[in-house]
Amino acid sequence: MLTLLSMFYYICLRRRSRSGTRGEALTSRRAVESGQRAVLPVSVEVEQYAKEVLDFSSHYGSENSMSYTMWNLAGVPNVYPSSGDFTQTAVFRAYGKWWEQCASTPPPFRCTPKSFHSQDYIELGFEEPVYPTAVEVLETYYPGAIVQILACSHNPFSQNPPTDVRWEVLWSGEPTKMLTPQARQFSPNIKHINFPTNLLRLEVNSSLLDYYTELDAVILRGVKERPMLALYKMPVIDISDLSDSEEELSDLGGPFRQGGDGKQGNGYFDKLPYELIQLILSHLTLPDLCRLAQSCKLLHHHCCDPLQYTQLSLQPYWARLSDASLGHLQSRCTLLQRLNLSWTGNRGALTLPGISSFLKACGLSLVCLELSCCHFLNEACLEVISQTCSELQELNLSSCDRLHPQAFTHISKLTRLRRLVLYRTKIEQTSILNILTFCIELRHLNLGSCVRIDDCDVVASMLATRCRSLRSLDLWRCRNLTDRGLAELVSGCRMLEELDLGWCPTLQSSTGCFQHLARRLPRLRKLFLTANRTVCDADVEELATGCPSLQHLDILGTRLVSAASLKKLLRACPRLLLLDVSFCSQVDMRVVQELCGLFPNVAIKKSFTQ
Amino acid sequence: MWCVADGVGGWRDYGVDPSQFSGTLMKTCERLVKEGRFIPSNPVGVLTKSYYELLQNKVPLLGSSTACIVVLDRHSHQLHTANLGDSGFLVVRRGEVVHRSDEQQHYFNTPFQLSIAPPGAEGAVLSDSPDAADSSSFDVQLGDIILTATDGLFDNMPDYMILQELKKLKNTNYESIQQTARSIAEQAHVLAYDPTYMSPFAQFACDNGLNVRGGKPDDITVLLSIVAEYTD
Repeated sequence: MLTLLSMFYYICLRRRSRSGTRGEALTSRRAVESGQRAVLPVSVEVEQYAKEVLDFSSHYGSENSMSYTMWNLAGVPNVYPSSGDFTQTAVFRAYGKWWEQCASTPPPFRCTPKSFHSQDYIELGFEEPVYPTAVEVLETYYPGAIVQILACSHNPFSQNPPTDVRWEVLWSGEPTKMLTPQARQFSPNIKHINFPTNLLRLEVNSSLLDYYTELDAVILRGVKERPMLALYKMPVIDISDLSDSEEELSDLGGPFRQGGDGKQGNGYFDKLPYELIQLILSHLTLPDLCRLAQSCKLLHHHCCDPLQYTQLSLQPYWARLSDASLGHLQSRCTLLQRLNLSWTGNRGALTLPGISSFLKACGLSLVCLELSCCHFLNEACLEVISQTCSELQELNLSSCDRLHPQAFTHISKLTRLRRLVLYRTKIEQTSILNILTFCIELRHLNLGSCVRIDDCDVVASMLATRCRSLRSLDLWRCRNLTDRGLAELVSGCRMLEELDLGWCPTLQSSTGCFQHLARRLPRLRKLFLTANRTVCDADVEELATGCPSLQHLDILGTRLVSAASLKKLLRACPRLLLLDVSFCSQVDMRVVQELCGLFPNVAIKKSFTQ
Repeated sequence: MWCVADGVGGWRDYGVDPSQFSGTLMKTCERLVKEGRFIPSNPVGVLTKSYYELLQNKVPLLGSSTACIVVLDRHSHQLHTANLGDSGFLVVRRGEVVHRSDEQQHYFNTPFQLSIAPPGAEGAVLSDSPDAADSSSFDVQLGDIILTATDGLFDNMPDYMILQELKKLKNTNYESIQQTARSIAEQAHVLAYDPTYMSPFAQFACDNGLNVRGGKPDDITVLLSIVAEYTD
């Protein structure tokens, strides 16, 4: 009786504490004492802001600044409850469907599970491990991007190496589109887990948003003692959680390994042509294939056919993928052409022996390898890749920011490369020049936020002489490209269709570099001149004359562009879809509304800070 | 840590609010300090970082400002300062100035300044690197008075007048410090509009061959602090 009474007390108090105002919420810690100490252990609800940003896949800001970087997500809020586009928040690199429309973006992998929406992530460490009771995210601009919140069993601040790392989904949902860009406090109902955590991961999908989402702070609430389960709702057992469980991914060898001879006694299945069954199976996701393989010898044989594994995206299963599961897949991936290991293998899940054995068995015909945020990669791994995957045409190493500069030299052996993404890596001048010397078939190159490249003019000039079929080049936040480099680039690489020169402060319009660019690149479809304060009317008019195929243009943050030249551009470029004129002081909201009325097919963006 | 920044008024002609630059600069400094992203003994670093953050803003900021940053390090009992331009500080011990900032000017009435110039006008606008800031470290004692102010004060009140005012400060409680700071600022304000008064500014002008009398009307900011025992 006494126990029941105290439970009742506890629930009441918890509820009251949850419904507290924000003022209360900001006090760093609050104790919710149970009514009767003698019966229940003291349940202290701890409330904490993130202590440290541990890892993330992309951000808008620069590597050596705070503005618009993911590091802003640590600590107390800076903007909330205000709304708007502020430097003090965490902003990802992309939003909407603009980036997917570009030729530089590869087609999606086949058979990605429908429940996997994540495009970007951030991992946050908190001071004290707790059993989470609530997670609150303060979203201060265009909310709605968060699609998944996960908790990890590993304490990121402990000295011990991670062992038996478990990730549990606390909440997941569909990407949403809010009707307003207004700030909100997002606090979904979370699943209760049976381990304490101080490592959270937020995964986002910004594809439905009208502009960059901005996150201000994350609050983790929880209790230190393991809560009595009766006090909570029983965790809802999610089918998708079960389906991707480790056992199934690692079953892949299974009891039917020898069973190739399933020709008889399979009823109608025997009458179906082999190819037809293969076609049906080709629509299944990896866990479904693994599950089906356990049903009978015939289907096991079908499910192990290497033709089912010419494209393999293991990114949705990043939390469970290990050397062992990769090993199980090995025998059936001998015809593998496209492999996505992005986000996988961290905290010791994949190792050099594991990955090299897999690549040696399955990497011979590989043409595309996605390795974004794979922090298990080291120089030896890249050496194995460069020696084994000689057919490789696409390599994505974006945000592999712990990879040693020396490691990149091995890429130059992959002479067939057509697409290379090195966004947010430590690649240095010599390595990139080396790569450009040998990889002359490059079509798409992303060197965004590669802060260790000392002289981008030399890189541009090398591109102009060696890689003449270059279609897209991303130099976002390159701090040393000048008009000389740009002039050489556009003279040599006349096929360029996409050029990202956002936040390249050393480019000065007064040199005529942008007008020269507009005259030299008639195929240009995407041009980002973000935050180049010198972009002027003459540049925009030259673009209108020289680049009729323009689809995406970003000239955020210049004071020198007027409504008149924009109108000229909008008339001359009928394929224009995106025009960002945020913080262009001559183009106010009234002008934007007028232009939107005249050109309804163009998304004209005008961000605000209030 | 505390700091003053004085926006340069000439930017009004460009349709720019001169306080936007100095205000954002100070807010950024504040944030760096609050989040612990600074080294107390390196106030120039704070200034450099803040200035760099201004360039990282999507908003195309324009303007220029002088700045004076003072950090009091509780543990080492030291004062670390960075000063760029003609704002400055005084450390007063037992009625005497024992340490002060140097005024940094390119030429008469043209202080060193941090600035972001509009495109095309880079050559025409004075722009000093934050590294040009003068830095110093100084051992302080209990009871030392630290006065930090913009040139609006120093151009209108000579040291002896400031010291006279500071002598009136008997208590170290918040109210009397506030009162003294206010009275110094008010007195400077009165002098600034006195056409016959021979202000330090006028004297300096005379030294530069300009026949000027009277005070110098300008924005005046005064911060007053006293080194005291640390109590939680």
